[in-house]
Amino acid sequence: MQKNQGLDERILVNQLKQGDETAFKTIVATWQDMVYNTALGIVQNAEDAEDIAQEVFVQVYQSINSFKGDSKFSTWLYRITITKSLDHERRKKRKKRFAFVKSLFGEESEVVIHPPDFNHPGVVLDKKEDAAALFAAIAGLPENQRIAFTLHKVEGLSYQEVSDVMKTTVSSVESLMHRARINLKKLLEVYYKEKG
Amino acid sequence: MEHKKTIDAKIERALEGLDGIQRAAAQPWLYSRVMGRLQREEKTVWESIGSFLSKPAVAMAGLTTILVLNLFVLFKQNSFQDATAVAGTNQGVQITDSESIIASNSSFDYENLVQP
Repeated sequence: MQKNQGLDERILVNQLKQGDETAFKTIVATWQDMVYNTALGIVQNAEDAEDIAQEVFVQVYQSINSFKGDSKFSTWLYRITITKSLDHERRKKRKKRFAFVKSLFGEESEVVIHPPDFNHPGVVLDKKEDAAALFAAIAGLPENQRIAFTLHKVEGLSYQEVSDVMKTTVSSVESLMHRARINLKKLLEVYYKEKG
Repeated sequence: MEHKKTIDAKIERALEGLDGIQRAAAQPWLYSRVMGRLQREEKTVWESIGSFLSKPAVAMAGLTTILVLNLFVLFKQNSFQDATAVAGTNQGVQITDSESIIASNSSFDYENLVQP
């Protein structure tokens, strides 16, 4: 099954390299949820995640020739998604900082800050509140820990798969996950203490 | 103490908040949006040429080529002018020589030339 999937991937990629739009449509249909869910886990905003998913597939279409097949196609897609998501976050932070500075000079009094209570649509109903608290804490993690934790917990990737995407070793991923858990505990402790 | 236990329990529960999470689904119109973006991003030939020329490396290479060509033309022109001047001088000498030959052949007496 896995072998067939790999073969299908290669065929689709080769067809896209030849400019086949039907192959591109199949690629988008096959991997759109994976890309969207990963972006959503990182940026924690549905609109932004959709925008990023579009950007990812535009890049796939434009730079498919740079995909040499050294890794799985999905691994390559995860990498593009993560890069785009982090770029998007940085741009947003810059805008926020600029808006803040402008507000200091009285040019704009309103600073747009997204609400911390992000609700992932795939969370089990009775865990909505806990998941929202956890997502808020995840947002406070250092970048590497956040990516490893999101890929493992939100996308359900194994440590091996996470290490492939992040171009690191499995033991590094284990270490990132361990530190992420410690940091999350600290962040959640602060949150629950403040909440009372 | 009891409060700490409650908080610890909440933390543990929160850490399990993503257990059993389902993958969020993208909107069904994603493909048409992507195609729309691709069409907007498609550049005309002139836009492509413009963006190629505006690349710093290409622009610098172009400027350097123009500069080198200008210098080449300038030096070439200077050396051509020098060569013309030298040729002119030589020609002048030759003319003088040929004039004096004609003068000597025709017994032309410049000194006793009748002034009008």
